[in-house]
Amino acid sequence: MSVLAENLLSDAVLADSYGAVRKRAQAELMRHGFPDIKTEAWKYTSLRALEKRSLVPGEHQPASPPPVPFDHHLLHIDAGRLLSDSSSLPSGISIEPVDSNRLAGLDYGNRGGAFGWLNLARFEQGLKVVINGRLDQPLMLALTTPDGHADACHPRIEIELTAGSRACLVQLDSSNGSGLVNAVIDLKVGENARLDHALSRHNGDAIWIERLDVALAAGADYRLVTLDGGGRLTRQDINVALNASGARCEVDGSVLIGARQHVDFHTAIDHCVGGTNSRERFRMLADGNGVGVFNGRIHIHPGADDSHSDLNTGNLLLSEQARINTKPELEIHAEEVTASHGATVGQLDEQALFYLRSRGLSAEAAANLLKTGFAAAPLETAVDDAVRQWLLANLGDWL
Amino acid sequence: MLKITNLHVAVDDKPILKGLNLEVAAGELHAIMGPNGSGKSTLGYALAGRDGYEITSGAVDFEGRDLADMEPEERAAAGLFLAFQYPVEIPGVNNAYFLRAALNAQRAARGEPEVDSMAFLKAVRESLKALKMDESLLKRAVNEGFSGGEKKRNEIVQMAVLKPKLAILDETDSGLDIDALKLVAEGINRLRDPARSFVVITHYQRLLEYLEPDRVHVLSDGQIVESGGRELAERLESEGYAFLESDAVEV
Ligand SMILES: Nc1ncnc2c1ncn2[C@@H]1O[C@H](COP(=O)(O)OP(=O)(O)OP(=O)(O)O)[C@@H](O)[C@H]1O
Ligand SMILES: [Mg+2]
Repeated sequence: MSVLAENLLSDAVLADSYGAVRKRAQAELMRHGFPDIKTEAWKYTSLRALEKRSLVPGEHQPASPPPVPFDHHLLHIDAGRLLSDSSSLPSGISIEPVDSNRLAGLDYGNRGGAFGWLNLARFEQGLKVVINGRLDQPLMLALTTPDGHADACHPRIEIELTAGSRACLVQLDSSNGSGLVNAVIDLKVGENARLDHALSRHNGDAIWIERLDVALAAGADYRLVTLDGGGRLTRQDINVALNASGARCEVDGSVLIGARQHVDFHTAIDHCVGGTNSRERFRMLADGNGVGVFNGRIHIHPGADDSHSDLNTGNLLLSEQARINTKPELEIHAEEVTASHGATVGQLDEQALFYLRSRGLSAEAAANLLKTGFAAAPLETAVDDAVRQWLLANLGDWL
Repeated sequence: MLKITNLHVAVDDKPILKGLNLEVAAGELHAIMGPNGSGKSTLGYALAGRDGYEITSGAVDFEGRDLADMEPEERAAAGLFLAFQYPVEIPGVNNAYFLRAALNAQRAARGEPEVDSMAFLKAVRESLKALKMDESLLKRAVNEGFSGGEKKRNEIVQMAVLKPKLAILDETDSGLDIDALKLVAEGINRLRDPARSFVVITHYQRLLEYLEPDRVHVLSDGQIVESGGRELAERLESEGYAFLESDAVEV
């Protein structure tokens, strides 16, 4: 058995109503194993840092939900378990356990999806949130770990917007521990529903692996704006399936990577049928000896005629040692489609720095202004004013 | 105000300025003309402190301080301003924010308090209006997507807000339509002051008709080869630079 399997799995399958699901997931995981650098989707991201962690359970005080400067409904999940009081949620938000039949049908594929299987085998509490109607305030989903957390946890949350509903989901991932957070977020956006999703994450030493699966029905509209402030090792998968005509998504993000940090974003947008639209824009900034990985896959399936996608990534290397691997991946099997993509990797523009300094800004202030300007663009697309301001403020704090 | 003595500047080890002398007293406006590639922008960059514009010998004295020892931002805080021949686009950086940050950085360096936001906005709006610039430009990124003429006028707006002691304007008149040229000239004249000096680099004597320069210099191959009054600009306009070769005068 590999080091990871030894550290992360247990012979004793958790005894709850999901026993069969867990058993199957564990078997799949054992069969495929964990990814290594020969696994295509993990080519630039080594799990050595995770292997070297000794994950230890412990009794800790739960974290308090991080404060945000706007009114919101709260779902606070600490180490995989719901902490907040769900009775105070409005009638448009209901919470139930995830359906084991649905879980039984999930397929995370081979090695590349190992952490999906792991989550399925070990999730603490599967929560399903149904949003019906139009939410008056953002729903904040705070994923935290207790202070000093050094264990593994596997939060699993499903959120479903019923047909015609509209919501703003603000997700905040944070841990000051040194363990593993292996989260799976499953979003279902019903017919003509609209979900504005903001995801903000900033980690220190914790290892954060998260998989976001989004399924869009006909006419559904999904907008994600994400700000990642970096972490020792972070892997974010974003998979959006445009399953029916009229579905569209916009995925925007800024990723800040500092010294001794490694952040890997893998996004995949699937145009499964025709008449679907996607737009995606990412900006990555790497400093020190930080490493960034971005893989943006656009898949236009056979028959998905008249689909349109646009993918754009910009990358900024702020030091000699920093590295960014960026790759757009276009797979087109349909007619009458437009699929544009562009990727740039560069450094701070010497001319622009000089221009700013010639106006009186210090070299540091000038560099900061340029970095902020570069990273702010994807965040500007956040629709809710307060949420956008909050993201921009986080950006200012973390750069 | 400014005294340049035997200035040599090299770019990428290539000598560009080759013993340039120039003295500008407080309150004066000097024009510099000269053929393409003669080193005019190089002079502006070297004075403003751009990396790679190495002063290999000579001295530049600005109000009693040796410019060579100062960072670009220190020169700005000391009162030096360069209007760029090609103003730089800064994506994602809001124009108003940038201008206020620059002004406050200069003020902090001089030990002055931050500007009052309202007074600042009022001053910027007035400058914009004087240059017939749309206020919406304030909300846009610095120079991004600005037309050529808007970029040039934006340099004058910045100058008006930052109120330098010495402004070097590098072909701010190039690419401007006739009305805009007048607005820019007025913008410069409004700032004329016994305590403020200008070095105006230009190819056209039209701008100088509005500005009344105290001196006109010709820069050629890295040196000032001729100096005179406004009539020199007129002669250059009608005869071109060719006459310099026949009766070049040692300065
Ligand atoms: N980075 C560089 N490397 C090599 N040569 C350079 C560099 N920058 C400028 N030069 C050269 O220095 C010379 C002077 O250039 P400069 O831009 O100062 O001319 P100018 O007088 O401003 O011309 P113009 O009227 O066209 O604006 C030119 O021959 C130019 O090619
Ligand atoms: Mg020039």
